[in-house]
Amino acid sequence: MLKGHLDMIVLAALAAGPAHGYAVIEEIKRRSSGAFELPEGTIYPVLHRLEHAGLLAGRWTTAESGRRRRVYELTKRGKRELGERRAVWEQFSEAIAGLFKGSRSWQSPT
Amino acid sequence: MAEPDVITECVDRLARKLAFDPALARRMRREAEDHLWEDVAADPAGGGPEAERRAVEKFGDPDALAAQLAVVSLARQARGVGVVTICGIAAVFVAMKARLTSYAATEYASGHGGRLGDIVVSIDRCAFWLAIVVAIGGWVYIGTRRVPPALTSEYRRQIRRFAVVCLAGAGALIASVIGDGVLTSLRLGRTRGSLDVLIPVVSMAIEAACAGALVRSIRGMAQRVTATGRIAPLE
Repeated sequence: MLKGHLDMIVLAALAAGPAHGYAVIEEIKRRSSGAFELPEGTIYPVLHRLEHAGLLAGRWTTAESGRRRRVYELTKRGKRELGERRAVWEQFSEAIAGLFKGSRSWQSPT
Repeated sequence: MAEPDVITECVDRLARKLAFDPALARRMRREAEDHLWEDVAADPAGGGPEAERRAVEKFGDPDALAAQLAVVSLARQARGVGVVTICGIAAVFVAMKARLTSYAATEYASGHGGRLGDIVVSIDRCAFWLAIVVAIGGWVYIGTRRVPPALTSEYRRQIRRFAVVCLAGAGALIASVIGDGVLTSLRLGRTRGSLDVLIPVVSMAIEAACAGALVRSIRGMAQRVTATGRIAPLE
């Protein structure tokens, strides 16, 4: 399930501001209270794909350590896309919550 | 000789898997190195081989990562080929128009060589329109395919189909350029060296360069599709 929403998760993490891959994954962990466990490298194909789709813009910077670092940020299109995905998600989430509210908890017959 | 550390080993393995796209391999090497060393620096144990091993473990399998990155690489390459195809056809059209305008301005080079010329003109027109139709078809085909999160044999098949369509378009464009070459030779064969031949010759050179660029770009894409065959597709 997590894989199907990775694009939205990464876009949401970058809504806070520009960040490099490691910072994005840390932000996801922090904001989800560690609920999303995924191989950290998985973030890069997502970042590359979103950049290719024009939802993110990347630029090279030099970190304090002297290493070259690619920093990503949301483009205008990316912000719009995030807004749309968020609206769809909230609608879906409300619908599921409504379903659960009307159901009794299931008990095992044994 | 000193053993390479686990981070260098992991990054090297990833770069080797991405060798089909040198720019992507270089970029991923930098990004992965930065990520892993940053993780080591943030390790509560304060670095060392154990922290490096943990960072590599958390980073994930380089082979699986390469399969996910290969899709982005192929999608980017396919879009590049699409752009080269459309721009190439547009440039050939502009070059053709420029040549015809220059003919209209020079009275001595009127007509295009009798019956042979008429046949070549027909072939040229058909080939050029065919190139346009095929290019648009290819563009629509690849534009409507969903880019999967990781490389699948189905996506590789789609890119191959796109390469075949582009090749057909390039073939038609080359036929059109050859037709233009024949017509230009028929016209210029009757002139005796003048500055007026400059535009036809330059425009022909532009057409030939566009056709060459298109073939080179399709060849590059086909090579990349073949090279990604070494990465196990994740179904």
